Amino acid sequence: MPPSGTRTVATDREERRLGFRLTLPTQVLILFIAVFPLLMQLYISLTDWSPLEGTGWWRAYELWNGFANYTDLLGDSRLWGALWRTFVVMLVCVPAEFLLGLGLAVLFMDDFPGKRVFYSILLMPMMVVPAVAGYMFFMLFQSGGPVNGILSGLTGLDVTIAWLSDPTLALVAVMIADIWQWTPLMFLILLAGLVGVPEDQLKAATLLGASWGQRFVTIMLPRIRTVLIIALAIRVIESFKIFDTLYIMTGGGPGVATETISVYIYKVTTQDLIWGYVAAIALVILIALSVLTVLAMKRMAAAGGRA
Amino acid sequence: MRRSLPFELFRYAMIALALALTLIPILWMASMAFKPIAEWSASGADLTWWPKAPTLDNFRYIFGEQTTALIATLDRTATKPILASLLAAVFGTLIAMSAGTAAAYGLSRFGSGQNLPLALTQLRLFPPMAVMIPVMIMWAFLGLIDSWWGLALIYGIVTLPFAFWLMKTFFDEMPKEIEEAALVEGCSRFRVFMKITLPMMRAPLASSAMFVFILNWSDYLIGLLLTTKEWVTIPVYMASLSSSMTGQLYGAKAALGLIAAIPPVILGIAIQKHLVRGLTFGALKQ
Repeated sequence: MPPSGTRTVATDREERRLGFRLTLPTQVLILFIAVFPLLMQLYISLTDWSPLEGTGWWRAYELWNGFANYTDLLGDSRLWGALWRTFVVMLVCVPAEFLLGLGLAVLFMDDFPGKRVFYSILLMPMMVVPAVAGYMFFMLFQSGGPVNGILSGLTGLDVTIAWLSDPTLALVAVMIADIWQWTPLMFLILLAGLVGVPEDQLKAATLLGASWGQRFVTIMLPRIRTVLIIALAIRVIESFKIFDTLYIMTGGGPGVATETISVYIYKVTTQDLIWGYVAAIALVILIALSVLTVLAMKRMAAAGGRA
Repeated sequence: MRRSLPFELFRYAMIALALALTLIPILWMASMAFKPIAEWSASGADLTWWPKAPTLDNFRYIFGEQTTALIATLDRTATKPILASLLAAVFGTLIAMSAGTAAAYGLSRFGSGQNLPLALTQLRLFPPMAVMIPVMIMWAFLGLIDSWWGLALIYGIVTLPFAFWLMKTFFDEMPKEIEEAALVEGCSRFRVFMKITLPMMRAPLASSAMFVFILNWSDYLIGLLLTTKEWVTIPVYMASLSSSMTGQLYGAKAALGLIAAIPPVILGIAIQKHLVRGLTFGALKQ
């Protein structure tokens, strides 16, 4: 833009108009995918409509049932089971990924021969298509597969555990796959944070006789607090959506043993086809997540201001 | 800093362990892709890590060749699903990058669209599962079900937040002096954007596009819900690749999995230094 002295009303108007035009397509797409669908979802959620009705969704009012879907979901034990399982997966996987990622990141803080190659290899799992990763672990956990093969080799026994058809072990297998795929993300983000820790501070602390543990807690940890929060927030939110790997590995089974919230919604959508009810569940989840998002955004904005 | 021998030994031991755990699943699938049918489900003492009789049969099989009398030829080959995944991901990336880059520039330079950061962050955080009912109804109404262009449209919208945030951080960092010089020369604002800014941003544009492409290529759920037969994507096709007639087609699926896994891994390594920026929405840079 021209030096402020020569700024004219015309340039101002030109810029405002161009800015509006440039942001317009995105605004339209947001309206198209968020605002209109949410209103539709709200409407359908107040009815008993299903695609099997043979009438268009706009005529769903003929099947109006008020808030029945919302009261139904309170007593839906399968839904609560799925929600609980999602939280179990989250509570095991996110801390595991975090600790493993942090451990690796600490090892990669300074230079050593082979660092770049090892770094690239360790990041690979997060780039593998999740559905393909699901298939990899499906093969690994077959009763005649390599996991049992390795266990047999280590124990000297003939191990033939049917991982994916045991309710508890299936959940364990699914969590192992998630940890395999997403530990690299924690490693990547945490390492980016740790690299920013000023070396002279660490050196000074070392000269003053601080042990490695002390340096870690007093210098590194506070410096990477923002990074920690961001990394954890991303994984918490993503693990709530867990679907691809899990669905390929177990399809939510055996029974409902690995049925998480996304798998549950998928099944009710495509098999039971009670869309009015699904819309109600989806809306409740969206509202809950929106509140969390706004809180997290504030946190991130505050953190960004400091950095 | 700390370079004691025990520490170095410990470091290499831990890294070796991490590398092994990282690579075993990938290598197992890669090795399976080259195993003949007799070795697919070998187990116990017969468990083979490396194919004893390596073959390209699995690749030939998924593209429709009769490779063994043991399993019937596929009536639907992998060619069309690969094409579907490619078209949907490429055009989805184009949509996301065009809209996202324009909006990012509008916000970065002129402060337009102040609502976009929050709106797009929410869009990125929503589980796709939770908005799929209206999307399925809308897509059916618009005749977009089971088409690569219908998928491209939803992919473009789902990955728009990433394109927007990546490009916004790049525009924010770009020095404004060159643009200002061109303005003094008398170029219009829009011409400056098209003729000066965008060409200067070629590298960031390419990295962002690759990042967005990886995300689009990785989708499974949306393809599962919005395609049925003609234009199923690779993961959807792969999951349907076994039947009661054939049983698990381990080798064939592994071959297809390998084909699906290679492009994002290569692109991901190429844009390694921008991964943190993309994943954290620019809150962090490497």
